[in-house]
Formats: sequence, C-alpha cells, structure tokens
Amino acid sequence: MTRVEPWRVTTRPTPPSPIGESVPRRDGVAKVTGAARYATDMAVPGMAWAKVLRSPYPHARIRSIDTSAAKALPGVIAVVTAEDLKARGDINLYYGHALTDHPILADGVVRYSGEAVAGVVAEDELTAYEAAQAILVDYEPLTVVVDVEGALGSGAPVIHEKEAKQGFHRGFDEDIQRDHPNVCSTAVQKFGDIDAAFAGAHLVLEGEYRYPNSYAYAMEPYNSMAEWRHGGLTVWTSCQHPFMVRDDVSHVFNLALANMRVIAPYVGGGYGSKSYTKIEPLTAALALVAGRPVKLVLSIDESILTTRGDGARVRIKTAFEADGRIRGRQAEILLNTGAYAENSPLVARKSANRISGPYRIPALDITCRAIYTNTAPASSFRGFGAPQGVLPGESQIDEAAERLGIDPIEIRRRNVVAPGEAPWPKVRGLDADLQADLSLVAEALDWASTPQPSHARGIAISASDAGSEPVSTALIRIHVDGSATATIGTSEIGQGSATVMAQIVAAELGIPLENVSLLQSDTAAVAYDRSTGASRSTTIVGLALQDAARDARAQLREWAGEVWSAESIEEARGGLVVGGVHRGWGEIVGAYFAGDFGEVVGRGRVRKVGATKQMPPFWEVGCVGVEVHVDEETGQIRVDKLVTVGDVGCAINPQLVESQDLGAAIMGFGMALTEELIYTDEGTLLNGNIVEYRVPRASDMPEYIGIIAERGDGVGIYGAKGGGEGSLNPVAAAIANAVRRAAGIRLREAPFTPERVWLAIRERDAAK
Amino acid sequence: MIPRFALARPASLAEAFDAWDATDGDASWYAGGTEILQVMKMGLARFGTMIDLKRIPELRGISLAAGDGALVIGGSVTHREIEVSQDVARELPGLVALEAHVANIRVRNQGTLGGNLCFAEPHSDPATFLLACDARVRLQGRGGTRDVAIDQFITGPLETAREADELLTAVIIPPARSGEGRAYEKAKFRERPAVSVAIRLRVQGGAIAEAYVSVGSLTDIPVLVPDVAAAFVGAQADAAAGTFGEALAQARARLGHLDAIGDLDGSPDFKRHLAGVVLGRAAIAALSEAAARA
Amino acid sequence: MPETIDITLSVNGLAHELAVQANVTIADLLRLELGLTGAKISCDMQVCGACTVLVDGLAVSGCTYLAVDADGREVATVEGLATDGVLNPLQQAFIDHAAFQCGYCTPGMLMSATALLAENPRPSRAEVIAGIDGNICRCTGYLPIIDAVLQAAEAGAQR
Ligand code: FES
Ligand code: FES
Repeated sequence: MTRVEPWRVTTRPTPPSPIGESVPRRDGVAKVTGAARYATDMAVPGMAWAKVLRSPYPHARIRSIDTSAAKALPGVIAVVTAEDLKARGDINLYYGHALTDHPILADGVVRYSGEAVAGVVAEDELTAYEAAQAILVDYEPLTVVVDVEGALGSGAPVIHEKEAKQGFHRGFDEDIQRDHPNVCSTAVQKFGDIDAAFAGAHLVLEGEYRYPNSYAYAMEPYNSMAEWRHGGLTVWTSCQHPFMVRDDVSHVFNLALANMRVIAPYVGGGYGSKSYTKIEPLTAALALVAGRPVKLVLSIDESILTTRGDGARVRIKTAFEADGRIRGRQAEILLNTGAYAENSPLVARKSANRISGPYRIPALDITCRAIYTNTAPASSFRGFGAPQGVLPGESQIDEAAERLGIDPIEIRRRNVVAPGEAPWPKVRGLDADLQADLSLVAEALDWASTPQPSHARGIAISASDAGSEPVSTALIRIHVDGSATATIGTSEIGQGSATVMAQIVAAELGIPLENVSLLQSDTAAVAYDRSTGASRSTTIVGLALQDAARDARAQLREWAGEVWSAESIEEARGGLVVGGVHRGWGEIVGAYFAGDFGEVVGRGRVRKVGATKQMPPFWEVGCVGVEVHVDEETGQIRVDKLVTVGDVGCAINPQLVESQDLGAAIMGFGMALTEELIYTDEGTLLNGNIVEYRVPRASDMPEYIGIIAERGDGVGIYGAKGGGEGSLNPVAAAIANAVRRAAGIRLREAPFTPERVWLAIRERDAAK
Repeated sequence: MIPRFALARPASLAEAFDAWDATDGDASWYAGGTEILQVMKMGLARFGTMIDLKRIPELRGISLAAGDGALVIGGSVTHREIEVSQDVARELPGLVALEAHVANIRVRNQGTLGGNLCFAEPHSDPATFLLACDARVRLQGRGGTRDVAIDQFITGPLETAREADELLTAVIIPPARSGEGRAYEKAKFRERPAVSVAIRLRVQGGAIAEAYVSVGSLTDIPVLVPDVAAAFVGAQADAAAGTFGEALAQARARLGHLDAIGDLDGSPDFKRHLAGVVLGRAAIAALSEAAARA
Repeated sequence: MPETIDITLSVNGLAHELAVQANVTIADLLRLELGLTGAKISCDMQVCGACTVLVDGLAVSGCTYLAVDADGREVATVEGLATDGVLNPLQQAFIDHAAFQCGYCTPGMLMSATALLAENPRPSRAEVIAGIDGNICRCTGYLPIIDAVLQAAEAGAQR
C-alpha cells in the first residue's frame, strides 16, 4: 500500500539547526553495509560456547540431575546446575530488580516449560547443545496453572512458596501486596466517590475484555558474552538498560560497580523486551565456572521462553451522563505475569494508571494485579500496560457513543482533558492538545464521508504517564579543534538515539553535525543513564546533554575571560564573541592550555528537581484512526488505512519520529489481529516460534498517513517529549471500534482472529 | 542445531543407489533441504548420512511426456523453477499460481516439489492440488520403477508409500482434457494454509460433467472428497446460474460432515466453514479455466 | 566424527578453498569462519529472512542452507554490495528513506531486494511487496523499505 507524505503541524518556535531536520541516520552506513556489530557478532579470544537445558515440564520438582554423560562428552568444559552455583558461595542465585524471585538456574523446582535447568559450556556450540541433551533430569510433575482465573482459584498450586525479597530497584514497595500467594503485585488507582458516580449515571456499561500473552520478537535474540579478568567482569549483551544490568549483575556476584562493565553494542530490536536483566547472570556464572570467556546465544524459540508481554483479563465498568460525559470508571485488571516477576510489578502499576485515558473522570477505582502462572515470565513490552487497558476503555467510549447517539469523535471531545489539565490528582497537567489531534485524524480519515460497504472507520486515543525516572547524566568533551565527543548511557536500539543525540549536541554547541561523535552504552566509559525505555531518551537524556553543553560553555566563557581579559563576552554560534572577536570553542581551549592541546569537559545531569520534578516527566498521548474492511465469509479483517499522530512537542528528526510512529502502530496492529502466544491447559506453548506466532508482513501494510504535531509543549529541549509508544496503544481499540461500525460486532478479545470474527458474526446473525 | 552427518554427492541415479547401499540404512536423501534440514535442526530426525540429489541430471527438468503430453516434473525441480516454467504456465496455470505462494521466495528457490511431497506435511499446498489433478509420482529403487497415484502415495501425516531407499524421480500430471478446469484456493492466516481446496471440473455442453475435489489442512492429510465433488455434477457451468449455486450449497453441506481437525487457525467448525468458502472461490476459478479450454 | 569436505566457493567475488563439516550452514560459515557477520540469524526456521544471502543470484535462507551446497557457486552477501566504500543505489535508498531502525533485518532485506531487482529491474509496488514479503522487519512497518526499493529501481533505470 502507499504512503502519503507526512503531515506536519507546527506551532512551536523555530529551533536552532540541525534540530527539526531529517538528517540521515548516523548508523546508516554501518547498517546497510553489514558493518554494524551486534552482541551476536562479538567474539573474544579463547571464547567458549554455552547452551541451556530447559524444562519440558511447566511445573515440577527436580528430584535429581545427572550430568555425568554430558560431562564425559569430548569438548565439554563445564556442566552447571543451581546446586553447583550454590555450592560455590560467591554467587547469589536469585536476581530480579523488582522482586528477587528468579533463580539463575532452576533451584529444585521448575515453574514453567522452558525454564533453564542447566547450562553447558563447550568448545563449540553444537557440542554444548548435544551435551545439554545428554543431561538426565528426574522431574516430579506438579499441578499446573496457566491462566489468571486458574491461578486465583481455590486449590490453585502455589507457584512461589517462599516470599521473595524486594529487588534493589525500589519504587514498587507499596504495590508488593500479596493477598493471594499467586499475586505478584497489586497496583491501585483510586479517587473520587465511585459509588455516587455509578448511582447517578444515565448509562452504565460493563464488559470483560482480553488481551493476549504476546511476544515482542526483537529479531536479535537474547544473547550475551561474559569475560572475567583480574577479578572484574565484562559483559557484552543485547540490552536496553546497560546500567541496570550492571547493577543487577553486580549484586549477583557481589562486585563493586567499578569492577563490572556492561557493553551494549547495536541492539537488534528491543521494544521493552530487552529492558532489565535477562541471561547476563547465567552467562557470567558459566564463564566463572568454566574459567573461560563464554558466549551464549539463545534461539528465538528460547527467547520467547525468556520474556514475553503480559496478557490481561479486564473487567471494566464505566458510568456516563446522557451527554456522554464520563462520571466514573471501575476496573479490575489481571495480568498474566508468568512464572517470575521480572518487570511486571511496574507493568501493573502503569496499566492501572493508563486504563482511564486522557479523560476528565471524577471518580476512578482501578485495581491491577500481576498474577503468577506456570508460563514464561512476562515483563516490559512497548506500551507497557497501556494497550491492555486502552482496548476495553476505548471500546466503552465508542459503545457509549453508539448508545447515546453521539459521534465517536464528539464524545471524546467532551471528555478529553485540556492542555495543562491533570487527568488525576497530583500529576503533571497534560502536555498535549488532544482536541487538535482528534481534528487532525478526522481530517486525514475523511471522517465525515461515507465509507464503502463493509468498510468503516474507527478511532481511539490514549495517554501514558511516560518518561520513567528522570535520572540521566551526560558528558560532552569539546576538543581543541572544536569538535565534540558526547558520552551517554542510552542504547541505540533502532530508535535513532545515535542520530538525535548528535543533532542535539550540534545544535547546543553550534557546531557542524559531522564534528560531533557519540559514545554510547559502555558502562565503563560513558556517563550514567538509568534506562533506554519509556520513550524517555530524547527528552531526559536530551536535557542532560543540554545541561552538559551549558556547563562546557560556561567553563569556556570563564576561560575566555581569563585568557583575553575582555570586558564583554557574548554567546555566539559555535563559540563566543570576546571583546568583539569571534573565538571558536576549540580556539578558546587551545588558548587556555597555551598550545594545540587540551579539552573542556561539560557535565550534565537531570534529576527529579525543577522542570522534571513533577511526575510524570511527560505524557505520551496516542491518537489513531483506521479504516477497515471485514470479509464476513472468512472473518478476516483488513486494515486499509492507518492514521497516527506523533504529538511530540518538537520533532528533533521528523523522519525518525514518523518511523517510530509507523513501527509502533504496526506492532499494535499485530497484537490486534494475529499475535498471541497460545498455551494449552497443561502448560505447553503451542506456537513458540516465528512460523506459528505471526507478526505483520509487508503485504499486510495499510495506506498510512503519519501526522507530526509540534506545539513545543514538552518538558524536553525545544519543547520536545517522547514518542514511539503512543501510536501502538490505541490501535487494537481503533480497529475494534471500526469493526463494530463495519460489521455490527463488538470484539472484546484480542487478537481479532478470523475465527473470533466469524463467531461474532454468527452470534450477530443469530440475534437477528 | 543441525547434527553432524556424512555427506554423499552422487552424480547419477546409479551412484545414488550405490551411495545408499554404502550406508547401513541410517541415511536420507535430500535436495533443497528446506524440510529435512529443518526437522533435523529441531532434533526431530537424525541421519548418519545425507545423500544430495542435486547433482543427478535424471532428476532435473520439466518436460511433456511423448505419448499423452503429461507434464513431467523432475524430482529435484524447485518450486521456483515450476513457478517460472512456460510449460507449466501453459499446461497447468493453477500450479504456477500455487507455487508463487508457497512459503517464501527463499524456500521456493531451495525447496523441491518432490521433497515437499515426500515430506507429506499435512498442510502441503501442492499435495492438495495434485490430488485433484490425478497426478502420480514415479518412484525408483534398486528393484525397479513404479508409479503411484498421489492418493495412494500419501498414507498419513509425514508418511508416504515410498520405501526409504526409493527415490521420487518425477511427478506426472495428466494433461487437461477439453473443457477441463483445475484450480486451487486457500485461506491462509499464518505461514501455512489454514485450509485449502482444489477442484478439477470438466464441462460439457454447458454443464459440469465431471468433478473432483480435494481438501487440505482440514483432516490429517490432504484427501479427495468424492461426495463433495459429486454435488457439482450436472450443475450448469455458470457461476451465476441457480443450479450451480445449489450445487455449491450442497457441496458445502457435505463438507460439513468431514472429520476436521482443529488447530491454531481455528476449531473444526470454523475450518469446515472456511473450506466451504474456499471451495466456492476455487469452483468459480475452475469454471473460468474450463471455459478457456472449451 | 564425519570428516570434512573440501569445497571451493566465491564470496563477494573472492575465491575460497575450505574444508567444512557437512552440517555447517552457509550462515555459520560466513559468520564464524569468514568473519562476514552481516547476515544475521533470527528465527532459524526459514521464515524471517534475516539470514538471506544469494547463491548464484538466488536468495536462500543462510540458516538452513548447507555450506557444502554452495560448493562451486558464487555467494553474495551484504558486505559485497558497496564498491570501494561507495554505497550502491539500493543501500543509499535505504538510508534516504530510513528503511531500517535496529538494522537487524537489513542485510537480509537488502539481499532479497537485490535478487528482486536483478530479476525485475522495474518492479511495481505490488511486485516489491511480493519480493520482500518473506523478510520480516519488526521495527519499521515496511513502508519505508518498499519506498526505498522503488527508489533504487528508479535510480537503476536512470543509469
Ligand atoms: S534466520 Fe534464516 S530465515 Fe530467519
Ligand atoms: S530494522 Fe529492526 S527488524 Fe527491521
């Protein structure tokens, strides 16, 4: 399908060049020539290969493990079980930043099919694989539970007998309540008089919705390589948050942070699935035992078993006035978190926050619980709890519109918060203009015209409290020739940070882009950054870079004053005007050090003070419209047209913004139509591979209009704020709303597979 | 990971059988390897020796049989070679259309029709179509050569009538008779078809005189469904005609009695329904080809 | 252990004589033996196309194509597309359109597009889509890739 030129709506002031310019991606040449190196491409001398033996049982006690046959195979260097690691005394077997409930290798019990039971290190990968198959494990199967209903039911097996310790990343404390042994965490979002809201309502809608267990499918599988040297550990890994992995792994091995180095080269896709620690502790433990550098590359099938996205069952109730205004909303969200907590406590928190949408709602009563089950662990995934809630929430807005005879866009207009207005108490006011965004989508979809038969249009909107913790640092070194090197902890996961951050440095120093270089994601070499996620980097790290540039310029101003003892010093592009003479940054550096050498180091930081004090640092809104066609014979839905609005405040690089929005929306499209990990009741994953877990293909693409709205309303530099998730969150709801209008059916369970559509059509026809 | 094995690379059929005899039977033929290497990689099969068939000239090429003009496709001809073959485009356009949508371009470049049939994957596109086309395969072993009709050849999911030491040397498809149309349609939601239907019709004097229908991905192997096909016989050869509509409705009702297997694409009920939808689309395509061959 | 087999093949125009185990895939040979890590392994099931390389001009799945089967043949990989550091029109078009994000699919995508354009230098939009439909990209939503291939076709036609 075709693509229409992006629409750009700009009311912000003009930023300095090259901000706002679609400069070519700086990783472009490396990526089109095959020169870009990913963790999978890394090797060090003396490196051995590892493979993992995984449990075929979803829940079982391990009676015994016999590794003798595996150890006897030629080429095998080490065979490692949890017992071996515990016996050493220098490794903490359990890790997890939220809850330390996750053993590096199964510790006497396996909690999902695919859990790592033993690791093998060998001279080559095939030998390691064959040795892993030669390990004999005696399992005693236990009762299995794969869904949230089952896990909370009476007689459900208890998945974690022991209460796990809190992880070192605080912030979930209040959410870690376990009113049932299989509850991992509970997040509550409550205000207003909910009973009164429902009691006086003109219309109350109630429904149950389901969102699938999903898989992010970053095309680069989880993989890492670990090397111990002089008591220190270096890990090369495909991860989004190198500093958090550093912190996690240092706890496992009781290492000082200074002795622990994490390097994340180009990352082959993340989408949240590579946030936090995955196989790094195992790889490092195997390297320690083997006494060799070790490389562990999972297959995609194993990656699916390592981290997936949380499925959800949502019971939701919304009360409306006759004019469509929302009086209150109540919801119970149950997330299928799988066998280990990973980051699901935070997903639960965000899901509870995000289900109410960008609306003025007087009363809210939301509970979201992350539930342990005997399935692969779920964790962060792009959208982060939002799509699970936006599908039900936005479906009910449309349902109300239909029941009350109000146009779907109009009903949203009556409820969205105005710019600056906070959707709930004690949070930042909305830094976006959704009224205007709705108009843009309506125009792009030609909302007022009548679509062809079996076609219909739908829209949905969302708001996410984004940005994560606003904690980042950055360094900028300006060299004697006037060029600059910036170091940041942000990973280049494809989002374009290598390009955008360089643009920011060039603009802030007023130097040509080609004179800026960037060093990223090596914890031993770059300045601290909390994470690469929650759409935060451009905003938060951008501010840190701006601060570093300011710091460098201030120092140079001082130096210039000293060197030229001038009365007047003025800021100018690329340097200072000192006593009427333009002095470039490099010239000042050289003059200060009295030679052709030296440099200035600018230090920048962002923390929870000043502009970034109030949480969230920014809102990420989503506003999506679609036109769909429903084939009533086969039940197939075809999305003919897709419209997104990137409401990003200031598009540092518009091409990259559009690229993020389209990519995000198509990921949402996959989740809406085809993507679902399907478990049997016995705990077997039926489609744990890319043949049967279907992600969108080129031939599925709709016509696309990407709108970029720049109103300078973000907290970031030049009014920027984050993007890249907002356009995913409303997609399933927009499609469901369009299908309702096309075929008269209300789809409440994603993905909307042909069979589910067909069943709904049959039900519709039976009711006639 | 693909386990270790020894490789033999015969340059003729005779050498191929010698290579086989040099093993203790722990061997497998392979050509494109798209099926067999995959299952070996997944740990589902393992062979001491793999015998490469790609260097055997006798297994190559597409030709028309001297006598009846049947289409003869060599055992190591790739999907892609069929997709771009002028002969196939003229004789059996439905096969070109089908091949153009098998898996992806890489699998079509590497994989062979013969391999696909020998693997007997229950969702095989070609097997379903060739069944309705009354095709047969030629098997050759030390003991001689035999021709086996497709419906005799595929004996179960991943099972065929081929002996391990026999080679599929050719697939033979009878030529279209006058007034005959052959078509294949599928519904596909993932990599493999959810359900597929092939139909061969012969039109005489404006009515359907003969019909053969096969369905794939519905039961555990692609099967001919004679009672479904019979519903079309006697109907007018015109998609708009009432008798055709009745025949189709009848055929769909009979499909409803099939013992379908539910899978990731849907329940048995849904799959039977889909088969009916696809049957209608295939029948209309076959009618138009029949008209062109009248 | 089965012994190795001697093969000769050319990779991006450079001849190699190698002794390989029969079970080694062309992707592993390129990545681990020859240091050409451009082709990537993702699904390992012939479905994603990240491992796409050309053998005698035909796209194959490097993850499931034996190195011995390339004996006597010409293998082309992403590393061979640029000449003397100058990007070819397809590579340039990928940069112009930001036809990648993480870039993990890109080497395979480029090789599939290369095979397509060699066979059909002026493809229609639908033909481009058919040509890359066997390659998964999880980042971009494909449209920039389709546009890039069309631009490259255009550029090729003008030369
Ligand atoms: S890795 Fe070979 S096709 Fe996916
Ligand atoms: S660019 Fe990341 S998968 Fe295509």
